[in-house]
Amino acid sequence: MESNWAAENLQTIRTLMERSAVYRRALAPIMLFAGALGVAAAAIGLWFHLDSMRAFGTLWLGTAVVVVAGALLITRRQAFKDQEPFWSPPTRRIAQALLPPLIAGMCLGVVFTGVDLEGGFTVLLALLWVLFYGCGLHAAGFFAPRGVKLLGWSFIACACVLLLAAAFRNSDLNLKAHWLMGFFFGGLHLAYGAYLYLTGTGKNAT
Amino acid sequence: MNPEPYLQLNRVIHEKGRLAIMSMLAASPELSFTELRDALAMTDGNLTTHIRALQETGYVSVAKSFQNRRPLTTCSLTTSGRNAFAEYINLLERIVQQNRPK
Repeated sequence: MESNWAAENLQTIRTLMERSAVYRRALAPIMLFAGALGVAAAAIGLWFHLDSMRAFGTLWLGTAVVVVAGALLITRRQAFKDQEPFWSPPTRRIAQALLPPLIAGMCLGVVFTGVDLEGGFTVLLALLWVLFYGCGLHAAGFFAPRGVKLLGWSFIACACVLLLAAAFRNSDLNLKAHWLMGFFFGGLHLAYGAYLYLTGTGKNAT
Repeated sequence: MNPEPYLQLNRVIHEKGRLAIMSMLAASPELSFTELRDALAMTDGNLTTHIRALQETGYVSVAKSFQNRRPLTTCSLTTSGRNAFAEYINLLERIVQQNRPK
């Protein structure tokens, strides 16, 4: 009986310690903001036929910079509203988990854009970005609500399947890179943001 | 059954609310008052009372500052608080071990 009580107390302590490390700020507005910008960037790319590597890379790298800046502003605004420090330990952990794959992806984008490769390389770059971003989300998922890790796995799995399909079909997938980017960085973010709102975890998601 | 570990349990930490606060602070270098209040679903008054009790025993330190001209209260575990918490966990583990069927 006493042992049960002690074991339950230990379990409660473990749960609380885990919860303490979890990022609690609103993820839904960030996801919806990133998704809306992703869809808008894809629409711009398709509408203006920005199909060369240079145009594609510039458009999406620019979008990424705007999304990161906007996400930081949303986080800061919420921290200010809740009278909490902006650079709190959970925020720091999320940033540390996300940064390496994001920097690697951006660096790869700059290289591809600078070299201005032609012939299907925009699709390859899009899939590599999806893969890197998925790895970042998965790492951040250790300090965030469970859905983030699942979203990360979705990005990784889809990118792997499409990359393998491209490799075995001699890189001709007949896909437009802007569609891919719009689906993954626009559609999936919007879907996850909507899910967070509908399940009531849009604010202070734990 | 040896009742000794149970009798040694720190009564300050053993209270449910204070144990929750200590657990949260043990996993984070510091937490703001609002973060603790929201995560533990406590009222301002309840949290203040528990934090004051922990502060009086020297387990928790409270820092008051201003962020963007708004007051910010942050709490963290002191070294003695960290040691007392570790000791409390050890005792709980001993109780579990002691009562485990052989």
